[in-house]
Amino acid sequence: MAEKKKTTTKKTETKKQDTKKVAPVKQEVKKQAKAAAGSTTEQKARVGVFICHCGTNIAGSMDLTAVEAYAKTVPNVAYVDNYKYMCSMPGQAVINKAIHDNKLTGVVVAACSPRLHEPTFRTATKEGGLNPFRFEMANIREQNSWVHMHDQEGSTDKAKDAIRIAVAKAALLQDLFPKAVPVEKAAIVVGAGVAGMQAALDLSAAGIKTYLVESDASIGGRMSQLDKTFPTLDCSQCILTPKMVDVGREPLIELFTWSEIHDVEGYIGNFDVTIKKKARGVITMAEAEAKGIVGGGCNGCGDCEAPCPVIKPNEFEMGMKPRKAIFINHPQVVPLLYTIDWDSCVKCGLCVTACGEKKAIDLEAKDEFVKVKVGTAILATGYELFPIEKKTEWGYKKFENVINGLEFERLICASGPTGGHLVRPSDGQTPKKVGFVLCAGSRDNTGIGKPYCSRFCCMYSLKHAHQIIEKIPGCTPYLFYMDIRSFGKAYEEFYYRIQDEGAKFIRGRVANILEDPKTKSLHVMTDDTLLNRPIDLEMDMVVLASAVQPSADTNRTRKLFGVSCSMDGWLLEAHPKLNPCGTTTAGVFLAGVCQGPKDIPDTVASAEGAASAASIPIHKGEVELEPYFATCIDEKCAGCGMCVNLCPYSALALVEKDGRTVMEVTEAKCKGCGTCGGFCPGGAIWMNHFATPQIVAQIDAFLLGGEQ
Amino acid sequence: MARTKGYPAALDKKLQDTKLYLDDSNPEFTKNVKAISRTNAHMCYQCGTCTGSCPSAPRSSYRIRLFMRRAVLGLENEALTDPDLWLCTTCYSCADRCPRDIIPTDVIMSMRNLAFKRDIIPVNFLKTVQAIYSSGHGVPNNDVNRAAREKIGLSRDPPTTHMFPEYIKGIQKILDHYKLKANADRIVKEREG
Ligand SMILES: Cc1cc2nc3c(=O)[nH]c(=O)nc-3n(C[C@H](O)[C@H](O)[C@H](O)COP(=O)(O)OP(=O)(O)OC[C@H]3O[C@@H](n4cnc5c(N)ncnc54)[C@H](O)[C@@H]3O)c2cc1C
Ligand code: SF4
Ligand code: SF4
Repeated sequence: MAEKKKTTTKKTETKKQDTKKVAPVKQEVKKQAKAAAGSTTEQKARVGVFICHCGTNIAGSMDLTAVEAYAKTVPNVAYVDNYKYMCSMPGQAVINKAIHDNKLTGVVVAACSPRLHEPTFRTATKEGGLNPFRFEMANIREQNSWVHMHDQEGSTDKAKDAIRIAVAKAALLQDLFPKAVPVEKAAIVVGAGVAGMQAALDLSAAGIKTYLVESDASIGGRMSQLDKTFPTLDCSQCILTPKMVDVGREPLIELFTWSEIHDVEGYIGNFDVTIKKKARGVITMAEAEAKGIVGGGCNGCGDCEAPCPVIKPNEFEMGMKPRKAIFINHPQVVPLLYTIDWDSCVKCGLCVTACGEKKAIDLEAKDEFVKVKVGTAILATGYELFPIEKKTEWGYKKFENVINGLEFERLICASGPTGGHLVRPSDGQTPKKVGFVLCAGSRDNTGIGKPYCSRFCCMYSLKHAHQIIEKIPGCTPYLFYMDIRSFGKAYEEFYYRIQDEGAKFIRGRVANILEDPKTKSLHVMTDDTLLNRPIDLEMDMVVLASAVQPSADTNRTRKLFGVSCSMDGWLLEAHPKLNPCGTTTAGVFLAGVCQGPKDIPDTVASAEGAASAASIPIHKGEVELEPYFATCIDEKCAGCGMCVNLCPYSALALVEKDGRTVMEVTEAKCKGCGTCGGFCPGGAIWMNHFATPQIVAQIDAFLLGGEQ
Repeated sequence: MARTKGYPAALDKKLQDTKLYLDDSNPEFTKNVKAISRTNAHMCYQCGTCTGSCPSAPRSSYRIRLFMRRAVLGLENEALTDPDLWLCTTCYSCADRCPRDIIPTDVIMSMRNLAFKRDIIPVNFLKTVQAIYSSGHGVPNNDVNRAAREKIGLSRDPPTTHMFPEYIKGIQKILDHYKLKANADRIVKEREG
């Protein structure tokens, strides 16, 4: 989002932003800026301090009576009160009444983190008749009582400091007015697995134009590779294909497959997203029509495939089936459109000849860039398997008959490379004993695997056990596990059912696997922890339930949208409990596994949540931006322009005003980071709500200590 | 105490109360093991990878996972008095594979340390101490080895204290500093008379 633009384009953009609604606000702000920066006589500050007990969360760790007594002695304090739960209705009423009774000009609540309750107390301040930005919070819980639980004296002193500092700022706070900007009635969804598809279907059903961008040649994601789905065992294709068709058919969804996000600019309500349509080498029927090729374009007939001389492993089939350089993933793909893999295409042109009059193939195709404007965005970039060969003790990629879970899905699937016959890769024989290694690479603190639980491998291994019992008479599955995590609705019942069907459960994490070089059978070594006996069981085949990790391009994509990630790369939600679909970037939401491992039910629920959250600003039609933007005090600005390049959000530009060159801020783009304000050598930049005099007053209050 | 008067001792043992009570565990033991072993001994989740990797386990009653459990629960007496404590070969296979990144071998070493403080130690370990004291080697060279070495073109004795006996004094100084030899001699004498 931080892509720099040439300063020359700024002027026009700035004008566009200055809607009528905004202009008066801006003038108001300017006036205040001058007032505070200079001489004018401001009304004397009268600050109210409200101390919250937070039950015993705060009151249990410090002497609140002493804190309250102290607060009364702080300069500019006109009123002090306390309450058990300041955020509750009665607590807020205390604030409301005090503002009226004491003609307060500012409010300080000493309680929890502003992340939690700043909005609550701003509303309370507003209801008391003050501008909501005249509220300041002193955090005496997260940053005090919780961390200094066993230091009553120290935490009491620290609370006094926090209140003194907050009062110093509150005394200088000014009225600010959030700016409303219109929201583009369109959304973008990145990734078209079941999460992205569901989100796009919901958004379009709510009447919102939706761009769905998928990096692969077709939509469906991992779910389209699965055979059956736990716990109901319905066939994955049967429940997914109709959704894929709906996505392809929905007029409000514009599908970009074989595409990726190239660039993102703007902010909530007005994101400018550049989509890179990777050269596909094949055009659709609609594109052909636009080019004047009558009846042309790819109809999915596949005539091109046969003559292509290049043979490559099909990634969709986990490399277990061949494909050509011109390919589709599988026969049911949406869109039904061939794609050329340029890394292997030799440009012999045989496919072009085979395609004939349809003229669908262009061996000289180039990447194209499409710019779209959207109000909100959803990331649904899913996952991939952790490369389990890194855990060398299990022999993946070394022993032929050790496979991973997705390879099992393709081998057991009727439309897979073996027509649904599970066979040993080494000799094509049907296995009679199949071992399943659970937590392969998950719950691993060695630094090689992943420390988290991958959440769906227990359940799909149970499903796999069922599938082989059902398909291969006399075949026994052995599940090597630490815990069976069957936490979902009807999951424990599923576990019961599979054990009843004859699956053997051995509680022990597999230590290592050895191959019999003659038979290619595998010795699974572990400890039967319940028998307290080391064991060596000979299996015909072993399936590793590998850990999952964010898909490869997730990191690049999330950075474009300004979204953070956790230590292990999963995209970071705004709040793990109360805002799991939101991010800290307004207008950007998360759906599905990209936020953390989820099975399909949880993925779909999260996608519907994200779609609902992403449609709210669009249906409201406008969003309020925090009025923390920088403003330029024109008289002080020397027009040096050094701030312009410093701004990470490209919000500043130099303009001509009254014959002088001065800096101008595009308020909607400014995030109030303060980079320019801290830098300006002439002190010409006024950071609303974090203005120099306000911050200096806080520092003074801290340094001067209690007795002034 | 015999509760089954007139029955053989074996049956008496079978009928013992084997429940785990709170006062069986000593939290200090967990802390000490952790401090001496310098590994997260309290973090074992009992997956069994260690026993599954252990070359000693299939051939003996030694179960490394069981010792890890005792470390977690602070079962000091049970851990230190179990003769299996001395069956670890210190191959570190378990340490290579433990998914919790614990070094179970070092946990065993720390328990051996603590046991030795209570004079719990098999005599053969003490004899090793005596051998090192007198020769600088736990397993001193012998004629069979010497012949084998000669056959493959090595010197009859390795370039250790065997070739340079003047350095044995240094080794003795170290062992004396820790009173290892004196303790070994004392315990061997007590046991063997
Ligand atoms: C072996 C196995 C068996 C399973 N069985 C079951 C089961 O029986 N039942 C069940 O409930 N769950 C099962 N699951 C879990 C299931 O696969 C997931 O819950 C589901 O696929 C998650 O969907 P998603 O859309 O979040 O991610 P994905 O399916 O991974 O979809 C993400 C999509 O985004 C695309 N993409 C990625 N990065 C980008 C990018 N930067 N730009 C554009 N597009 C991008 C990808 O190409 C992909 O199409 C199984 C998983 C495995 C591994
Ligand atoms: S879901 Fe089960 S197999 Fe997968 S990591 Fe979690 S506990 Fe292990
Ligand atoms: S391998 Fe590690 S975590 Fe697993 S039982 Fe052994 S010590 Fe515990």
